[in-house]
Amino acid sequence: MLSFAVQALYKVTHPNERESIPQQEIEGLASEPPRSPRPVGNSVAKGEIVHKVQEIDYLVLTALADQIHPVELSELCRLTGLDQAKVSAVLVTRNGAEIEVEERPYRELSVGKKAAAWAGVLPERRIIECLASGGGQLSMLEIAERTGLEPKDVGGTLKILKDREWATQSGKVLALTDEGREAAESEPGSDEQVFAVVAQSDHLVTDRDLRENRLPVEEGLSILLERKGILDIKDRVERYSALTEKGRAFIEGGLTPVREVNLLTPEMLKDGSWREVQFRPYDVTAATEPVWAGKIHPLVSVFEKTRRVFLEMGFEETESGYVESSFWDFDALFQPQDHPARDMQDTFYVGRPSDCNLPAEEIVKAVKDTHENGGQTGSVGWRYQWSRALSEKAVLRTHTTASTVRALAEKPTSPRKVFCVGPVFRRETVDYKHLPVFHQVDGIIIDDKATFANLLGTLEAFYRKMGFSKFQFRPAFFPYTEPSVEVFVWSEKKSDWVEMGGAGMFRPEVTEPLGCTSPVLAWGLGLERLAMFTYDLASIGELYKARLSWLKGVDLCRL
Amino acid sequence: MPVIGIPVDMLRERIETSLSSDELVTKLQQLGCDVEGYATLRRFACQDCDWLMEITETENPPVSCSACGRDFKEFPDRRLERGTIEVLRMELLAVRPDMFDPAGLARTLRGYLGEKTGPVKYHLEEARVSVTAERALASPDSLDYRPIRCAVVRGVELNEDRIKVLMKLQENLHWAMGRDRKRASIGVYDLNSFDSTQGVRYRLVEPEGVEFVPLGKSERMTPRQILSDHPKGPPYAHLLEGRERYPLLSACRPDGSEVVMAFIPIINSEDTKVKHETKDLFVDVTGLESRLVEKILNMIVTSLLELCPGSTAEQVNIDWDGQEQPVVTPDFSYQSVEFDAALPLERLGLTDEDLFPDSTEVVTVEQRAHMVKALLERMGHGVEVRSDSGLLVKVPSYRNDILHPMDLVEDVAIAFGYHNIRPSLVPTFTVGLETPRSALMNRVREALAGQGFLEVLTLILSSEECQYEKLGRPNRESHVSLAHPISHEQTMVRTSLIPGLLETFSVNTDHPLPQKIFEVGRISLLDSDSEVGAREYLRAAAAQLGSRSDLATIKATAEALLTDLGFPLERNIRALQESDDAYHTFLPGRGAVIGDGSREWVWFGELHPQVLENFGLTYPVALCEVDLEALL
Repeated sequence: MLSFAVQALYKVTHPNERESIPQQEIEGLASEPPRSPRPVGNSVAKGEIVHKVQEIDYLVLTALADQIHPVELSELCRLTGLDQAKVSAVLVTRNGAEIEVEERPYRELSVGKKAAAWAGVLPERRIIECLASGGGQLSMLEIAERTGLEPKDVGGTLKILKDREWATQSGKVLALTDEGREAAESEPGSDEQVFAVVAQSDHLVTDRDLRENRLPVEEGLSILLERKGILDIKDRVERYSALTEKGRAFIEGGLTPVREVNLLTPEMLKDGSWREVQFRPYDVTAATEPVWAGKIHPLVSVFEKTRRVFLEMGFEETESGYVESSFWDFDALFQPQDHPARDMQDTFYVGRPSDCNLPAEEIVKAVKDTHENGGQTGSVGWRYQWSRALSEKAVLRTHTTASTVRALAEKPTSPRKVFCVGPVFRRETVDYKHLPVFHQVDGIIIDDKATFANLLGTLEAFYRKMGFSKFQFRPAFFPYTEPSVEVFVWSEKKSDWVEMGGAGMFRPEVTEPLGCTSPVLAWGLGLERLAMFTYDLASIGELYKARLSWLKGVDLCRL
Repeated sequence: MPVIGIPVDMLRERIETSLSSDELVTKLQQLGCDVEGYATLRRFACQDCDWLMEITETENPPVSCSACGRDFKEFPDRRLERGTIEVLRMELLAVRPDMFDPAGLARTLRGYLGEKTGPVKYHLEEARVSVTAERALASPDSLDYRPIRCAVVRGVELNEDRIKVLMKLQENLHWAMGRDRKRASIGVYDLNSFDSTQGVRYRLVEPEGVEFVPLGKSERMTPRQILSDHPKGPPYAHLLEGRERYPLLSACRPDGSEVVMAFIPIINSEDTKVKHETKDLFVDVTGLESRLVEKILNMIVTSLLELCPGSTAEQVNIDWDGQEQPVVTPDFSYQSVEFDAALPLERLGLTDEDLFPDSTEVVTVEQRAHMVKALLERMGHGVEVRSDSGLLVKVPSYRNDILHPMDLVEDVAIAFGYHNIRPSLVPTFTVGLETPRSALMNRVREALAGQGFLEVLTLILSSEECQYEKLGRPNRESHVSLAHPISHEQTMVRTSLIPGLLETFSVNTDHPLPQKIFEVGRISLLDSDSEVGAREYLRAAAAQLGSRSDLATIKATAEALLTDLGFPLERNIRALQESDDAYHTFLPGRGAVIGDGSREWVWFGELHPQVLENFGLTYPVALCEVDLEALL
């Protein structure tokens, strides 16, 4: 069992962050022969319980067992052959239990930038010596020349000279005082001694070194530190480790090193060494790198669900082109030629190709007659003069009903069930629920026995399969169906009925000119609307904005 | 559809049944009204022209009169507070203009609720007023053709509310039936503002041939001035385009001088305007087709009779000069429809059990016929049972939506109640079958998603700039282009899926790399052999942005896709040449195409930095586009 502290230590180590675990650590452990992998301690021979410890713990504990005095960290690294990070990890884990770690602070001293050129002698000493030998009075320029000091260093020392009353200044001339003369002849002060040692040493000097040389360290430093930039001081700590009583007893009890690894390697499987290692436990709650999964678009999954439902219900799929004649988009559906939906405000007329061919003449004539006076259908018609030219105008289809009505005309015989899923185009100004291109599904049932009750039943079955459970059917108006109905589904979120699609029985003015004498049930539904409902979107634009983060994160199981 | 506000009080006072607010909404929905809910409107009147304006509680009071244009900021005391009114907001049910106003709607509700079933009879007085019309206006082959139909309604008691309702009804009829006054327009005048015994004239005038004060103005204007300067002129001037003379309706003052009533179909005159104290009304409807004009006249006159209890309608003689028989309108006679009672029951799937749930005996044909009769009567029709199941349905003159017996089937369904119809399924078995194209699309999606690509959907409409210029391709003018685009970004149907993918990258620059996306969809190209002049081609495109977006990676992607789709193995890969349209899309020497000798269907490579720059991309992209038609 690992202690809590070790688990805590590894908490920062992420299973997937392979780069963050030094590779050589893992490989080192796998290839490097352990220094003394044999169990130690008396109890081994007696066959008593042996403590299983990680290999690095084993190395550190046994190294300390050979020492009488506390061992400094770098020494311990040398003794164990481990790097500092690993030894520290063991010490952190076992400190206060098997090991006691004593922290010994010390200071690392070096000459500051300002004093780099002073060659171990403080400028005040040079100045008073210079004055003493130069007749007791010199200009600052002369002092600089004679001492070799920078003029700024001479100027920078004036305060010290005055404070210590070693010299007086009048204008640019300094005069040595009696105290100054005395100082020039005496031994250097504690600050000077410390500075000299630090400056002249060829390695890093510590306050401990100075104390060992019996220098007046504390006094010298306190004086020097009042002057900025002369000495740089860094606070350091040395860690000395020793076994505790408990630690010695622990080792006495017998230790077996166990190698701990992060990754299971093919080598371990090949040579069976996986049996001898311990796998470092992971923090299973740690966040992982997100996976970039390939998947289908949420709106496409709505299309696919819709298609699947229709296929399950025995419908054959149909398709037709984006460019459509006004004839199939409007006229065949008994939409009068001056109907507002046909305005170029609402419909995309195509500039190229501008006109389409019309189907067989008898169909065109039947449609024309039906518009003008009802033709053979028993209707009074719309009573206006129908224009062939308007009927030939090419549009981008405004609904998928253009596809289903084409399918109807191709084979107008009962029984048939047909559906079409695809894009449609409206000249809409973009807002939260409108785009110039969106998708629809249209379905028709041609059946001699079909009734309006069948239409409601089919709609209910369809919407139930699409995941809705409460429906309402209300009368509605569409130019090509009679009776017409609008389907509403209950939204828990809005706690209101939401309109989901339109339906009806094709008017005889639609079916009969196309040669169909059977009742035809028909319905259509905007799929973006369904998708917005399914994925809880406030705006239709979300579906096309193509934010990859949303696409990646969206849950397709909602359907 | 526009949303209208039906004043709740005016509706309620015309029905006897006591309904809660929710019940009233439910009943209206069962009749086919798309009800949005109740709303309280604030009302303001213009002191100058008496025009009543309504605003919702969240809107700011009007800053000018929407009728005469009076500036209320300059003259704040001309805007009068008129309190609030509760309305039912609903979408205009365009197919039922007889239900546009509270009085007409109440008439339908009374029948549906069973308070007063069968046809409503409206009495018509004999004509006392005559209209003399110029021949050219009545000849269908004349360029000036615009027939007129008129009526007089006497004894109306108007008030602000009723005038508002009348104005709104007129406006909605103009929109729904008149196609914004093109097919028909309506005028209502104060009959007593002129001497009706001297008759009314409907004639053509020169653009400068007359001067009168149009509604909302105080100075006299000629028709030409009105067309250019009056608020109602420019919006409707196109209706008179190409005409040399304009239709004018006028009458005489007691002294015999002319008073202009209206410049049709643009604006009425101030002189004959309807006011609160107006007692008798003259109504005209003109338009492009006499039957429609007559229908609209019937709708507005019967709604007026419903709106103003105690008023009476009176016919008007219309003399077309040179014609012997005057036309007398309005004509409230029924439209007769032979109707078999079996038809609605069969079409709706209504069984005897549905119709007579409590009956224990065998239901007879007569019983069924009488049931259908009762249902139709609740929708306001008159019904005679002629034979066993043969009915003669008398459709009221204000209904314009019964084109075919199937329209009566719907009335039966509504009267029976959609909520009372038991849903069932078609008893016939059929086999489902998907198109090869859909099946292929799904295989492609599976293959590319399996390779870690994320599917995107981009708009099918695009622009020449995106499809050609930014992609470094020549515009061969072989695309489907829109006649009236909404924006520069959408002028054509796409010819390649690549621009959509690159635009997707360009809006996801903050997303981690690499980005791998694909689209499966159709592009469009002109095709003179096709019935519609163009045809669609199924394509797939996959693109990768970021590290390792090189030719080798995308080639591997394309080849894995081809393998998944079972493309034939003997294929030719060649580097794109300068003569290829796709050449400049890719880096020179790093674009390639796969074909089978007769046809090429896969393009792939590393995008040219210029193309990346054109789409604002700062990382390399490798992509492929596959024409899937070869597999269909």
